[in-house]
Amino acid sequence: MDTSLFLVQLINGLQYGLLLFLIASGLTLVFGVMGILNLAHGSMYMVGAYLAWYFVEHTGSFALSAIISAVIALIIGVVVERTLIRQLYRRNHLDQVLLTIGMIFVFNALQSLLWGNDPLGVAVPAALSSAVPLTDVLEYPVYRIFVALLCIAIAVVMYFMINKTRLGMLIRAGESNREMVECLGIDIRQLYTIVFAIGVMLAAVAGVVAAPMSSIVPGMGEHILITCFVVVVIGGMGSIKGAFVAALLVGLVDTFASVLVPQMSSMMIYIVMAFILLIKPQGLFSS
Amino acid sequence: MLFNKRTERYFIWVFFPLALLMPLFLAENTFFVSKLTSVMIFALFVMSLDYLVGRCGLITLGHAMFYGLGGYLFWMIAPEYEAVNFWVYTFYICTIAAAVALVIGFLVLRTSGIYMIMITLAFAQMAFYFFSDSIEFGGNDGLFIYVKPETSIFGLSFFDLDNPIHFYYLCLLSLFNTLVFFRVLIRSRFGRVVDAINENPGRTTALGYNIFMYRLMSYVIASALGAYAGYLFTLQYGFVNPSMMAWTTSGSALVMSILGGMGSIYGAILGTFAYEGLHYLLEHLTEYWMLFMGILIIAMVMIFKNGIAGYMEKLLEKRI
Repeated sequence: MDTSLFLVQLINGLQYGLLLFLIASGLTLVFGVMGILNLAHGSMYMVGAYLAWYFVEHTGSFALSAIISAVIALIIGVVVERTLIRQLYRRNHLDQVLLTIGMIFVFNALQSLLWGNDPLGVAVPAALSSAVPLTDVLEYPVYRIFVALLCIAIAVVMYFMINKTRLGMLIRAGESNREMVECLGIDIRQLYTIVFAIGVMLAAVAGVVAAPMSSIVPGMGEHILITCFVVVVIGGMGSIKGAFVAALLVGLVDTFASVLVPQMSSMMIYIVMAFILLIKPQGLFSS
Repeated sequence: MLFNKRTERYFIWVFFPLALLMPLFLAENTFFVSKLTSVMIFALFVMSLDYLVGRCGLITLGHAMFYGLGGYLFWMIAPEYEAVNFWVYTFYICTIAAAVALVIGFLVLRTSGIYMIMITLAFAQMAFYFFSDSIEFGGNDGLFIYVKPETSIFGLSFFDLDNPIHFYYLCLLSLFNTLVFFRVLIRSRFGRVVDAINENPGRTTALGYNIFMYRLMSYVIASALGAYAGYLFTLQYGFVNPSMMAWTTSGSALVMSILGGMGSIYGAILGTFAYEGLHYLLEHLTEYWMLFMGILIIAMVMIFKNGIAGYMEKLLEKRI
C-alpha cells in the first residue's frame, strides 16, 4: 500500500468513524441517562435516510429536506418516548429488548408500506458535488469531507451542551442519580423525553447525511445498529467520549481491514471488540 | 418469578398428547407436518436459551452461533456420501459443541449484564462472518447435506429420517426429552444452586459455591442442546447456511422465550408456537405482516409481563 492509498483509506476510515459516532452517540446517551437499551435506534437511521429521499424528491433542496427530516425525527422521538419508552423505566433490559424489537418490526413495515422495497438513491447536493485533489492522480469528494466536518461540529456542540449548559448539567446529574435529581424538583420525565428525542434526531441526521453516500435499502437500520453497538460497547456504555474514540477506532479498523485482510474484513471489528472486552470488561471509558 | 408446577403439568398433559395424535388426522398434509416439525425444532432451541436467560440470568445474544454450529459440525465430521448413525453423531456433535462452549463460555462469563449480551453477540458475529465469507464452507449459500443418517440402535431402526412423519416423531421425542431433562435439572441440587445464583450471586458465593463453575456448566449444557437443535434443522431441510447463526435468529429466539414466559422452560414451546403461528397467519393475510407482528409484540410487553405462561398461571390461580 503506497502513501496516497493509505491517505485515502485513512480519510475514509475517519469519515466513516465520525458518521458512526453520530449514530452511536444517541444510543449511548439514551443508555447512559435513561438506562434504556434501544434496539430500534438503527431504524431511526433508516427513517432519516428515507425521509431525506422523500423530501429531496418533493422540495428539490437537500438542506431543506435535512431540516424537515430532523424536525420529524424529533417529533417521532417525543411521541415514542411519551407513549412507549416511558412504560419501561422500571422494567428490566429484556422487556426493553422485546419492545424495541417490536418497534423495529413496525418501522420496517411502515418503510415498506410508504416507500416500497426497491433501493433508492439521493443525489449529492450540487454545491458539494465536486472533488478536491489529494495528489496528482487522486481526488477526494467534497461531500465526504463536508460530512466529516459536520460530524465534528455536532460532536463539539454536544460536548459544550453536556459540559457547559443547564440541560447538560441535568443530563449528567440524571446519569449519576435519578432520585436525587427528582428530589431537587426537576421533572426528570421531561428530561428523558428531551434526551430520547435528541438521540432519535442524531440517528436520523446521520441517516440524512449518509443518504447521498450509500444506497437506501430496507434493512440498512439493522446493519448499522450492530456496528453501533460494537462502538458503544468498546467505548463503555453511556460514555460519549468513549463512543467518540471507539467510533474512530471501529471506522479505521473496518476500512483498513477491507483493504489489508479482505477475507476476514467483516469479522475484524468483532475480533477487536472481543479482545477489548476481555481486557477491559466494561469498555475503554467506563465510569 | 417462580413458575407454578401445576400449570406446567397441565400444559404437558395437553400439548404432548395432542402433538402425538396430530399426524393421525393430518398425515396427508405434508406441508403442515413439516412446518410443525420445524417449529418444534426451534422450540427446542428456544428452550435451551430460556434455561440460560431465564434460569441462570445469563443473557446472551449469540446463542444462534451454536444453532448454526450444530449444522456445520455435521457437515464437517460426517462423510459426504455415506449414511452415518444418527445417535452416534448426535453424541459427537453435542460433545464438540460443548467443548467449544466451554472455551467461549470461559471467556464470555467473565463479563456480565449488558456487556455479556454484547460479547456473546461479538463471538456469534465472528462465527457468522467466518462461515459466510469462507469459500470452503459454501459462503452465503451454505452447504447441502446429501445423505441423511440412519437411526438404528443395536440393529433396530425406529425412525426413517426421509419420512416426514418419522422425523416429526423424532423431533417431538427430542422436545419432550429436553423438557423432562430441564425439569429434572431444575429440581436437582445443581438447579437449586443455579436458582440461588440467579437470585443473589453474592450470597451464593458467600455460601461457598463457585458460581463461575455453575454458570459455565449451564452455558455448556444449553449450548450443546442448541447445537442439537441446529443439527435437527439441518437434517430436516438438508442444508446448512450462515443465516442460522445471524443475530436475528438469536433475537427472535429471545422474543419467543420472553413471549412464552422467561424461565418457565415449557413457556419456550408456548412462545415459539405463538410467534410462529402468528407469523404464519399474518404473512398469509397481509403483505405488511411485520406491522401487526410489531404491534402485537409491543402490546404483549405492555400487557403480559410474565409472558403467556405467566398469564396462564394467573388464569388458573383465579379459578382455583
